[in-house]
Amino acid sequence: MIELALDLTLARFPLAVHTSLGGGVTAIMGPSGSGKTSLLEALAGLRPRARGRLVLDGAVLLDTAKRTNERPERRRMGYVPQDAGLFPHLTALDNVRFGARGDAGRVDNAIDTLAIRGLLHRHPASLSGGEKQRVALARALAIEPRLLLLDEPLAALDVGLRERVLPYLLRIRDEWKVPMLYVTHNVGEALALADEVLLLRDGRVEAQGRPLDLLSSPGISAEAEAGIENLFPGRVLAHDVDGGVTRVQVEGGPQVSVTVAPRRALGSAVTLAIRAEDILVATEAPRGLSARNVYEARLVSLERTGVDVTLRFEIEGAERPWLARLTPAAVKALEMRPGARAWLAVKSHSVRVV
Amino acid sequence: MLTAQEAETVLLTLKIAALGTGLILAPGIAVALMLARYRGPGKAAIETLLSLPLVLPPTAVGIVLLQTLSRRGSLGSWLAERGVEIVFTWKGVLIATMVMSFPLLVRSARTAFEEVEPRLVGIARTLGCGPLGAFFRVTLPLAWRGVLAGSVLAFARALGEFGATVMVAGNIPGKTQTLALAIFHDNQIGRDDRALVLAGVTAGLAFAALWTTEWIAGRRTRRIAA
Repeated sequence: MIELALDLTLARFPLAVHTSLGGGVTAIMGPSGSGKTSLLEALAGLRPRARGRLVLDGAVLLDTAKRTNERPERRRMGYVPQDAGLFPHLTALDNVRFGARGDAGRVDNAIDTLAIRGLLHRHPASLSGGEKQRVALARALAIEPRLLLLDEPLAALDVGLRERVLPYLLRIRDEWKVPMLYVTHNVGEALALADEVLLLRDGRVEAQGRPLDLLSSPGISAEAEAGIENLFPGRVLAHDVDGGVTRVQVEGGPQVSVTVAPRRALGSAVTLAIRAEDILVATEAPRGLSARNVYEARLVSLERTGVDVTLRFEIEGAERPWLARLTPAAVKALEMRPGARAWLAVKSHSVRVV
Repeated sequence: MLTAQEAETVLLTLKIAALGTGLILAPGIAVALMLARYRGPGKAAIETLLSLPLVLPPTAVGIVLLQTLSRRGSLGSWLAERGVEIVFTWKGVLIATMVMSFPLLVRSARTAFEEVEPRLVGIARTLGCGPLGAFFRVTLPLAWRGVLAGSVLAFARALGEFGATVMVAGNIPGKTQTLALAIFHDNQIGRDDRALVLAGVTAGLAFAALWTTEWIAGRRTRRIAA
């Protein structure tokens, strides 16, 4: 349980985060420069000018009114910055040991959790991006932190590497049960890891809630720079390896074909993510189309969003709306009005399984 | 070969340079660190003031020191009451060389400290280090090369200091005569041959100091890169 009432003057706007967070994983999302990193630094005690209150599981770390401001070395926050921030003059092992105060058991545990035993005698300069992140995570874990502060730990990694490091984060969450604040731009990571999402904008809390609710509500996800408006929970129905597709039954919705994902067990829960601009809209039933997913739908509403128009469709029998984004010219050419019948087409390749 | 008196001069010079460098190390590092981290008003003025001894004629620095430290000077009279004589003693040589080499150490160390990312120091703090612990475990190990280079420059400067020393401590063989002063003295009495020998010794000492530094720094780099 984290009680937060932080105020900090930044160059472009005041950071003012007043909220409370549960003990699990909180994803902090929001556009670049919305104060995410400053928030983490303030929590770690690295922004001496931060004012307000910070109470972590009953321990008062900051209370300006009572002149309490715990020094960073006494807060026990495991802070991992975006580029890992390893000490370049120390080996991986000495980095992990740095804050452990000689507790070899904790160091060993952290090393095993992150599977870095083979890297211990190397200097950071010779480690890859993913290896650096794992060493930095182990270093933060070895102090037995009250709270882990992770600043886009996977952002610097390419997609393949990301999927290799993500399981370690899940392991930290499930085995160490350390609460985490996790800055990310990636909806998939937020869905996979977080119990709660905090959306920041210009230093303020724009929205807060459960990941699936928050990230699929219209308008919000665009603010999260996610750009993925359609998120549907579902279950894996069948794999057609020769056909190159996996079929997913969306909860309270249609079946959707996605590019084959044989590693997902039949019946396992997945979330489908479809960008609004990846949905084709037709006014007649399309024929001879390569897209594997075509659904008849009814237009509920249209809304001008920036330079585009976001259209909200209803598919018969589906619980959640489908959002498509078109240019104003396309809307005009198709003569789209609320109540109009339409067909939505989505290529399997445009559906991401997260 | 060196005469007994010349050997004594070499020894005195080395002692003064080593002791002086040792004594300015801690305050030099402290001042360099403050300058590297300080961002407030007057930063440029403070830095300029501290570098002034580098560009002033050493004799100008020497006359100010002499006025301050002589028995009639403010500090000198206070010291004299406590039985401490500075002027025309080896302590005068020591103080003159310390004042002249201090800015060299500070400049070099400051640049090195500025290159240490403050973020790494912050991370060290979150890992349980106090400010002093973070300095000794992160800042200094990352900046030690610049600090070492500055110390060697300061040491070399102390070996060759002439102007301020001659003003404060005179040129008394066996007492305040360092190599630089002895070379001048030999020339004055027409012994250019001895002056040249001493110049060679000075050059040898300075070369050894600088080369050792390069060697240590180079070896250390290779180890980290490997």
